[in-house]
Amino acid sequence: MADVGDDLFRRIQDRVAIVGIGHLPFAKDIGRPIADTAVEAIQLALDDAGLEAEDVDGMSMFEMESTHEVSIARRLGVEGLRWWDKISYGGGASCATLMHAAAAITSGLATTVVCHRARNRGAKTSRPWAQERELVRDDKALHVPWGLVRPVDVIGMWAHRHMHEYGTRREHFGNVAIAARKHAQRNPYAMMRDRPLDMETYLAGRPIGWPLTFYDCCLETDGALACVVTSVERARDLRQRPVLLHAVAQASGSNPVHLANYNNTPAMETTSVFCAKLLWQRSALQPRDMDCAQIYDAFTPLVITGLEDYGFCRRGEGGPFTEGGRLELDGALPVLTSGGGLAEAYVHGFNLILEGVRQIRGTSVNQVPDCKATLVTGASGVATSAAVLRVA
Amino acid sequence: MMHPDYPLPDVDDPVMRPFWDGAREGRLMLQRDRTTGLLHWPPKPMYWKGGARLEWFVASGRGRIYSYVVAHEPFLPAFQHLLPLVLVLVEVDEGPRLVGYMVGCRPDEMAFGMRVRVVFERLTERVTLPVWGPDR
Repeated sequence: MADVGDDLFRRIQDRVAIVGIGHLPFAKDIGRPIADTAVEAIQLALDDAGLEAEDVDGMSMFEMESTHEVSIARRLGVEGLRWWDKISYGGGASCATLMHAAAAITSGLATTVVCHRARNRGAKTSRPWAQERELVRDDKALHVPWGLVRPVDVIGMWAHRHMHEYGTRREHFGNVAIAARKHAQRNPYAMMRDRPLDMETYLAGRPIGWPLTFYDCCLETDGALACVVTSVERARDLRQRPVLLHAVAQASGSNPVHLANYNNTPAMETTSVFCAKLLWQRSALQPRDMDCAQIYDAFTPLVITGLEDYGFCRRGEGGPFTEGGRLELDGALPVLTSGGGLAEAYVHGFNLILEGVRQIRGTSVNQVPDCKATLVTGASGVATSAAVLRVA
Repeated sequence: MMHPDYPLPDVDDPVMRPFWDGAREGRLMLQRDRTTGLLHWPPKPMYWKGGARLEWFVASGRGRIYSYVVAHEPFLPAFQHLLPLVLVLVEVDEGPRLVGYMVGCRPDEMAFGMRVRVVFERLTERVTLPVWGPDR
């Protein structure tokens, strides 16, 4: 494969900005259909940016969204929709919505794009893994018939091997859970506010997919979030301090199988390895330049492998990297500063994008002093995406 | 008695059919490239690269535990009677890693690298699942 490493990509680097963000309060039961919450989240993001629906001409969202673009456009009052896109792979799609928006804007296909995720997953019956009925086909036939269905088990397989191979311990997973929970305590929107977690409680968590237990798993949340992306030129005239999309990437890795891609090369490295390589090739900033990181946290071990995959430490060192409070607000690399999927809300990582934006604006409830750049990543294991956000 | 909601595989999938046909007859089938000798898992369509390169063969049915997870509640109703279920990733002696579950082995008997052999679990007239047991 030709290395597109990337002169082409310079056309995108720092050329678009996130100029508005918005979200509804997260809830266990939001009580409204996502066709409605999505529209309100986008309206809030436009209000934040100081833009009107009439300014929007593009839309970028998750393929899992059941709401149609035209329905959103009609409800909002978008008159001239001329570019839209739906991106697959659940939590792998988060930062890809930004990448596709950037590609559309810099190529002239759109000028102002709204990206969003609205998801009702609080109810137990809404879990996709509890709804297998039809004959299992294609990729899923490689693991679902044996009962490897729940994401916790699929990820547990990687996590357990990581423990065996590198000596990673449950306490390391616990450090991730505790850091996220600690950050949630100052976030008025966090589902786990007022519910701090200590190591003793963490270690006593009931097994779900051993070695992963209750506290290794993200929340299940109803939520709706959106952001507005436009060119840096337009961004200058808007209400908020623009947050530049410095670098962004999307990758599926080798020999991919939806989530259980255990036969890729190099062995047992997740899709994030491939995404990270592209991302840092496209970035003038490197891991050492990140003032904090929003690393996708459907399960705690994904943060540890994420730290390795994105080059904050070497392969196998992700466990010890979490020690000494390094991931907490006063540590060397604060992660999940809003509480993330583990403690704020699990909405396929879109909340990680919003928190990245707040850190660059300087408005996070857990503000990292003088934050100039942050990494936001999508789900590991599935075809994924990641972005570097920076100050203008 | 198989649970009515058991997530049965589509055994007529053109790519996977030799695997499921083999399992029904008590053989673990894998696919290799005649040209390079390399195994392909997941398997590729037989027309890959102009056809004629691929063949299915009977594998040893033996391997080692590469990783495993012990699944507890809440789980799919179809597997409820198997909990705690030991889900495994088996590195077969020929190389690829296959997803499966263990039979005849308690969670506390599990170990990384432990030898396992294939066991065929008949679910329906058409579907037999290759699963794994200790290779004692």
